[in-house]
Amino acid sequence: MKNRPYRVILITLLRELFLTMLLLVGVSVVVFAILYAAPGDPFSALLEGQLATDEVREQIRIAMGAQQSWYAQYFSWLFSVLSGNFGTSVRTGLPVSGELFTVSINTLKLTVGSMLITLLVAVPIALYTAMRDHRVVLGWPLTMFGYLISSLPLFWFGYIIIYISIHGFHFFPLASFGGESWLHTLVPVLVLGLGSGTISEVIRQLREEMTRVLGEDYVRTARAKGASVWKHAFKEGVLLPVTEIIAAKIPFILGGAVIVEQIFNWPGMGRMAWQAALDRDFPVIMGIVLIAASFVRMGSLLQRMVFIAVNPHRQRE
Amino acid sequence: MNSSPLLRIENLRTFFYSQRKHAFVRAVDGVTLDVGRSETVGLVGESGSGKSITAMSVMGLLRGGPGVIGGRIEFESAHGRQNLLEKLQAFVEVHEQNGRVMSVSKDEKGWRKASERIMRNYRGKEISMIFQNPRTSLNPYMTVGGQIAESIRLHTANRSESEARERALYWLERVKIDSPKLRYKTYPAVMSGGMCQRAMIAMALSAEPSMLIADEPTTGLDATIQSKIVDLLEELKSETHISTLLISHDISVISRLSDRVAIMYGGAVVEFGPARQVLDPHEEARHPYTAALIDSVPSQQKIRDKSNLQAIEGDVLDTINVPAGCRFYDRCNRVKDGIRERCATQHPPLQEISSGHHMRCWLFAKG
Repeated sequence: MKNRPYRVILITLLRELFLTMLLLVGVSVVVFAILYAAPGDPFSALLEGQLATDEVREQIRIAMGAQQSWYAQYFSWLFSVLSGNFGTSVRTGLPVSGELFTVSINTLKLTVGSMLITLLVAVPIALYTAMRDHRVVLGWPLTMFGYLISSLPLFWFGYIIIYISIHGFHFFPLASFGGESWLHTLVPVLVLGLGSGTISEVIRQLREEMTRVLGEDYVRTARAKGASVWKHAFKEGVLLPVTEIIAAKIPFILGGAVIVEQIFNWPGMGRMAWQAALDRDFPVIMGIVLIAASFVRMGSLLQRMVFIAVNPHRQRE
Repeated sequence: MNSSPLLRIENLRTFFYSQRKHAFVRAVDGVTLDVGRSETVGLVGESGSGKSITAMSVMGLLRGGPGVIGGRIEFESAHGRQNLLEKLQAFVEVHEQNGRVMSVSKDEKGWRKASERIMRNYRGKEISMIFQNPRTSLNPYMTVGGQIAESIRLHTANRSESEARERALYWLERVKIDSPKLRYKTYPAVMSGGMCQRAMIAMALSAEPSMLIADEPTTGLDATIQSKIVDLLEELKSETHISTLLISHDISVISRLSDRVAIMYGGAVVEFGPARQVLDPHEEARHPYTAALIDSVPSQQKIRDKSNLQAIEGDVLDTINVPAGCRFYDRCNRVKDGIRERCATQHPPLQEISSGHHMRCWLFAKG
């Protein structure tokens, strides 16, 4: 009965982290198996255009340990990952881990930024239409705006924005990581935030949740005692759904990031994954898969943490 | 007592529009009653008779249109008398034909704004409210003590956190919650319904309002818990002398706590008078509906006599198709030949038949 939120949070955190480890191992097994079964191998990509004899090819295979059975390859990969070594890229010959780090930071910037954009647009619209129970004149056009923006295909939207910003405003170069022009870097973030197709869903989900909470008995009590409805409805009506939405939408945003990074030449994980997939660059693909999976997992971890922090007793119901 | 009541509701009308049936639900249609200082007035009626809607109208808590469309709600506070529906007429236009409301146009947005501005000074501060379903009425995301302290800090001079905490603990003790210090920190989810209702009462009274509206405070609780809550309310009533509007369908609860009783049927008050007169089964001057209502309540006497419980014939009034005459006409068993014509066609007015005893029935109509 004693109320010890911090302990509950800590225990849950540890449990979730353990589950995350299991999940990552599972994901890596599945992806490894798929890669192994997929046609093509890194060597033919590597040797493309070169007149290598079968003898040379065989030597390279042996040098890279590819003649072993697939599970032996998997376990040797797994153990080196556990010791912090993600292997070397087949294409560049450089260690994967260093590059993976910079690239995932770039993608993190893109996804977090665009998630913020999505929320900045969607949350006010959702709350505005939910907070007033009589008809809102602006509600319908705002909702339509959300649907319209969300139905624009990302690859088309991105190119249109590039076209407009260059020809209309001489806004160039986009997504440059020089540091002197962060405004330019903002363009791809905006494109992903607006065009990832999540805005309308966020509006709908948050509005429904908020409308439901506003009809709850305890919100009526808050009104009857002259307290702020906003304050009482915030936790269940805004905080929980928003974290839930963030957790649920991370995979979609990551998927969108692949496209946006291609279009804007953003040096992120998505672009690297695309290139690695073309090259059959197994170590790079595996590394990216692990990072992406842990991003998604971190989202749901955040959601669990907020859920418990908001009410330590609710979790038992 | 009647010279200057604390709360006076006059001819209150609250309608809702049913989209499905394209008609008005006349939830409250002409409620008139008053609550004096340190007096408890019980409001009794069947489900759907408009008791709760009356209370919600007073608090301005209704959602959905058109809501309150007419009447006066006067409340006396330290700042003088104010009609809580002061500016209502400016926002509502009611079109009537032969005494029936044909259409209502109401500027909801404007009215809500005006109402919120007035009610800001009354909610919690002057009028507190407790509800049925205490477990869902407390915020599950805040500690019990935090919710009481919030109310204290909003409405009393105890603004600092530690002062509010002290007061909250005092009120938790006052409503007889065991180990208040421990309960202060717990969440409503781990408390029982009765405990939650005590916390609600503590929260309502902690702001030191001059009036308490208790909307079915014992409904949904176990019978033993019910009687304990009633005991508590009785005790607090004699100690704090707070004016109370007690809403219940449970006549035994009403009879224990009320000084005066108003009986509601079909959105209107049909009888209003001193509790002893209204609820006395041997009283001659009784509204047929009140008589039927009291006969339908099991009492020890009746159980001992093994007499059958009297159910009220017929269904609850359909508040959409309200009959032209007396609303109880179809179910009334005391219609006499002399007045049958009037009962069927004319809605009886609320008349004072003896000092302080009002009745809406042609049987007792004068003149």
